[in-house]
Amino acid sequence: MNEDFSQETLHQLASPWLASQRPGHRFNVFRDTSDFYRIEYGDILILNNVPYLVRHNAKEGRFGLDDEVKFWVKRAIDLTTGKTKIIKLVFYEKFLARVGGIEFECFRSPRKEARILNLVGKHPNFMHGFSVPDDKGNIVRIIDLIYGQTLADHVRDMVPGMSHEAYFLNHFKEVLDNYIECVEAVRFLHENGEKHGDVRRDHILLDRDMGRCRWIDFDYNFRHRENMYGYDMFGLGNVLMYLAGMGDVLIADLKRAGSPALTALRDEDMNIVFNNRVANLRKIYPYIPESFNRILMHFSRGANIFYDNTIQLLDDLNEFRSGFPGRQGGI
Amino acid sequence: MEQDVNRNILIAADESDNSRRAVIYVGKMLGSVKGFKVTVVHVIREPEEDFFPVESEKEKWYREYGRKAETMLEEYKGMLINAGFAPEDVSVRSTLRYCPSMAECILAERDKLEYGTLVVGRKGLSHKEEFLFGSISGKIVRTARNCTVWVVE
Repeated sequence: MNEDFSQETLHQLASPWLASQRPGHRFNVFRDTSDFYRIEYGDILILNNVPYLVRHNAKEGRFGLDDEVKFWVKRAIDLTTGKTKIIKLVFYEKFLARVGGIEFECFRSPRKEARILNLVGKHPNFMHGFSVPDDKGNIVRIIDLIYGQTLADHVRDMVPGMSHEAYFLNHFKEVLDNYIECVEAVRFLHENGEKHGDVRRDHILLDRDMGRCRWIDFDYNFRHRENMYGYDMFGLGNVLMYLAGMGDVLIADLKRAGSPALTALRDEDMNIVFNNRVANLRKIYPYIPESFNRILMHFSRGANIFYDNTIQLLDDLNEFRSGFPGRQGGI
Repeated sequence: MEQDVNRNILIAADESDNSRRAVIYVGKMLGSVKGFKVTVVHVIREPEEDFFPVESEKEKWYREYGRKAETMLEEYKGMLINAGFAPEDVSVRSTLRYCPSMAECILAERDKLEYGTLVVGRKGLSHKEEFLFGSISGKIVRTARNCTVWVVE
């Protein structure tokens, strides 16, 4: 069926979301989304015969930088259901990413994200959605909005002013359970031959309705070398360090605070890629159990062996978790 | 009891300097010794479908890369012949494969024809590069079975 939406029909459908429309207003209607810069607030996208009212462009904040507008990602209303959706239009880019001084070729792939959306279906630890081709064959992804903050922000905002010790002993168990679920979810991707491609802490949302952590944004890919999943493993290590440290433990912050632990830190205690982040958290927080710290040390400059895959990481995490009682049991 | 030595050598090579060093090394070591046969194999990693926005770009990439690989392999063949191998004892081949792990693809090539010795160059990755992306030669050394592995520095 190729339904034609008249301006009158669109006005009727969109009126609940538009406070006022000037008389004679005509919607800009897009069935070809190639030029996403032209698609603005109040425009209509028709995808697979479903009209969507565009609200605004999405933004992405990252590591303290101002929110960056993503013109190819629109927040929109599905006018047939009234539900809010995130609509990701096609934006191909290839670039050299640089991590810790190492360059590697990265690219954004709508096809990959569409494939993973299909693969994960209603898996509770991923964002949900589907893809449709627009009139020009662009692979547009239509994604359910997740309400909630990132897991990292959740940890940061947990209890203002809480000490690390209180956090680790009273709350980390719950955070770790969420993290383990996230690693299991990445394992699911790997077992199906997919990388997440951009594992980082602001790509895990804590869904406030479901109470579960969910991975978002799978459209990044990179030309891998030997270990296809190495970069995902690196991301998982960084997230774990952040969660265990109740934030990144940075040398600069330790210096500012005059931390006595500084003198004990060696090169091998630092994050293997980021020289300014401490991996050996037990040197800063001595109540962190040795068995857990050993997991962190797999991501340190002093590591002799690395985790090749999520199974190895999960084995160690689960073993630690099964014996980690938190404050109540005393560690 | 003395066992027969399998005298078939497989050099897994790409366009890198370390691969070139591996070819030179085999030439110097065995070029003047009779009875060895060498195959230089180049495994072309099939790029993931996501890498090309459109099909025509993928086809173009295959054409261009195939030509480049052919030239490279002919050069390696010449180097081995110049080092003393008889032309009939040197062969080259390239193979296009989907390779989540290049090391596993190379080892699969070795298994197929049961070469006695596998030769690879060593890139000399930094610790963090090895962590992020893995080491092909490292994995070959760890996982190869039923053959001798030479890792040329």
